[in-house]
Amino acid sequence: MATLIIGFLIGCAFGAILYLGGASSYRRIMGTLLLKDMWIIKLMATAIGVGTLGVYLLDFNGLANLSIKPAYVWGIALGGVIFGVGWAVSGYCPGTCVVGTSEGKKDALFTLLGALVGAFTFSLVYPYIETGLIQNANFGKITMEDLAGINGIYLAVPFSLALLGLSFFVLKDRYE
Amino acid sequence: MHEGTHSMSNDYIISWKVAGVALGLLLTLATALVKPLGVSTQFVVTDAVVAHTVAPQFAESNEYLAKYGEQTDWGVGYGWMLVLGMLVGGGVTALIFKNRQPQADKGSMPPMWEAQFGHSHAKRYAAAFLGGVLLLFGARLAGGCTSGHMISGISQLAVGSFIFGVMTFGAAILMAKFLYRAR
Repeated sequence: MATLIIGFLIGCAFGAILYLGGASSYRRIMGTLLLKDMWIIKLMATAIGVGTLGVYLLDFNGLANLSIKPAYVWGIALGGVIFGVGWAVSGYCPGTCVVGTSEGKKDALFTLLGALVGAFTFSLVYPYIETGLIQNANFGKITMEDLAGINGIYLAVPFSLALLGLSFFVLKDRYE
Repeated sequence: MHEGTHSMSNDYIISWKVAGVALGLLLTLATALVKPLGVSTQFVVTDAVVAHTVAPQFAESNEYLAKYGEQTDWGVGYGWMLVLGMLVGGGVTALIFKNRQPQADKGSMPPMWEAQFGHSHAKRYAAAFLGGVLLLFGARLAGGCTSGHMISGISQLAVGSFIFGVMTFGAAILMAKFLYRAR
């Protein structure tokens, strides 16, 4: 029960941050995908920069509840391409269409409904593609830590600093 | 579109810096308390719950839905409550900050879309729906979305999540350039 309440509260904060930060804005999303308005990429790189540092500091102290997704190359690559096309066509991603819907944006609601249909469609196709795309070339739950063979904190710190540096000092706000 | 001298102050509610740092801290908190953030799985859980209510036999026979349905006892867990929270947290915040939201970010018809594709709401909604279908088909094939793979996954330095990030941004940028090509 406590876990459900924590989930709800974390979700509330997540939704609020995405709304307040303009992440559910079509103008911001498409601006980033057209490589003109760097708002979303800076927001994401900052979040990942702080997140990587936070997660690996927790992990270093044995406090992280990690959830590493398996690296099955073909399914992730093809899924990523399909997802990317859907992202550009709708202007939303699964999280931001939820937030857009909560704001009363009808286009976001249509994306949310489409997303439910897309997930259902995948459940019908799954048995036919599981062997070829998910079991094939599946390297399991591997991280850069496993590849490098050193403690993740030594990768996390420079990676985090690079992302924060990119957001705060390298990228301009806009490119014309 | 006239850009006034005071337009910058109306251009956002909180800056990407504040939102980005807050999101990174929230991810850290979630990882400490339960597990990292993720959204796309919950669309399957929702489908599984609906399918189990409407057509239980079909739901049990569908390998993928049954996987998510049974794990959560055909009910809701941490992840689903998180997405419900997004709906509530986003909605309440949107009500409170309604007057501070930039004009360009309001409404169901983005001005940018209208300038390129015309005034038809049906066309915008059809694209939004189709995009949604592709989003979740792709996310389930890949095993995550912007939150689970990109934000949470890359923050955990997961190899698969880096692959997802590169492929997704690559495809999305090409598609966006194609949609908004000069004509």
